[in-house]
Amino acid sequence: MKNLKKGKVTVTITIGIACLALATVMCMQFKIVNQTNIDELEVMREEELRTELADWKAKYQEAEEQYNQKEEKLQEYNEEEVSEIETTELVQKELEQVNLLLGKTDVEGYGIEITLRENENAEASITADNLNMIVNSLREAGAEAICINNERIINMSDIVLVANSVIKVNQQRVFAPYVIKAIGNQTYLESALLGNGGEADKLKKLGHDVTIDKSNNVKIPSYNKELSTRYIEE
Amino acid sequence: MANKKIISCVLGIMCLALTFCICVQMKTVKQYSTKIGQNYDQKNLRAEVLRYKERYEHLLKEIDNLDKTLEGKIEEATDQNTDLEDARNQIKEGNKLIGLTEVTGPGAIIRVADSNIESSKVLDPSLLVVHDLDIFAIINELKNAGAEAISVNEQRIVSTSAIECGGNIITVNGEKIGSPFVIKAIGLPENFANLRRTGGYLEKMEEAGIQVKFEKSNKLTIPKYTGILNYKYAQSVK
Repeated sequence: MKNLKKGKVTVTITIGIACLALATVMCMQFKIVNQTNIDELEVMREEELRTELADWKAKYQEAEEQYNQKEEKLQEYNEEEVSEIETTELVQKELEQVNLLLGKTDVEGYGIEITLRENENAEASITADNLNMIVNSLREAGAEAICINNERIINMSDIVLVANSVIKVNQQRVFAPYVIKAIGNQTYLESALLGNGGEADKLKKLGHDVTIDKSNNVKIPSYNKELSTRYIEE
Repeated sequence: MANKKIISCVLGIMCLALTFCICVQMKTVKQYSTKIGQNYDQKNLRAEVLRYKERYEHLLKEIDNLDKTLEGKIEEATDQNTDLEDARNQIKEGNKLIGLTEVTGPGAIIRVADSNIESSKVLDPSLLVVHDLDIFAIINELKNAGAEAISVNEQRIVSTSAIECGGNIITVNGEKIGSPFVIKAIGLPENFANLRRTGGYLEKMEEAGIQVKFEKSNKLTIPKYTGILNYKYAQSVK
């Protein structure tokens, strides 16, 4: 009887220890598996990280360029403080730069010209949305100046559809055929529109006639209305 | 005797389970250690991204300081010259419209956010999400209503700003933004209220289930453009 009891106790203790070991191992296991899952997620994002890094590098370089430019300008001021004529020149230069960025000057440069000829029998006519999307795609591709039928697209420009058929750019009516000009990197600009699913591609598939010409001297007129601010203050 | 058999069986099963667990464990640990190498690479990448970001932001601040000194210099130089004061004012006005200075004024705030409706309950779940085209359309309508300055999630809209679709997020000025979108515009608030007209774009979005909030404001602040505006291709015709 005593022997039997002793045996039982030993067995129970053994099983107990085994259970404990099992539980510990399981706990560890869970912990590590948990960690591994997170790591897998991070591995997946490596590509993303690389593109992110490239983006930041490009941005940094651009900023550096501008920094150097501005420093040069400041140096000029410091050197030429004495001469009034030269100060006038520098301020004038600054004003020119502002007018360039605003769209108040005629500009020229490398770029593309897109001509959209409407096809009466097409499934859908060319709408303000199409023009808007083309402008957005061109901006995505780094366009520096854009115009539609010689209406310069500036920061405050709108392209709207009025009464279902009239397209207005800068509140000015534009008629087909639409000629859109853009200055920037020709390859980028063209591929942004022509690629599968690009806006030019979509219009072509609807049956409209779309031509894109590269030109080394695209001329874009200035914004021809008064630019005034009534509400914004510094 | 029967008792002993049962105990043996239980012990046997336990040992088996234990062995199995240990095997799985060893395997996982092996995988884990191979990942350490990649992890190291990634940490470096991450650190580098952060470093560049920091350097970029630092440089932007430096440019800001330069701008201020430059402005001071110009002011100093043009103080005695009334002819130049006009030019100076034009530069100031121009920079406001270009988006190179922070501006305040009356206007409206539009908030749009992805729908709360469960996607399984509708035919086309993509209608429940705010798209790049929606943001573009709202901005276009604001410009039509005479907006003088616009920002989307604190990203100032400038003449080169594109609204790009980037999968689950939208990119404005190359910066990623996500729902909810806060669009601020400065101009006449009453004109902006037209965006809420029946049959207008905002109403259509609301009907589709998108959360839309419109709010007039007497004074709101729109930040300046944080990127670099510098033309490489376009040149003024003299």
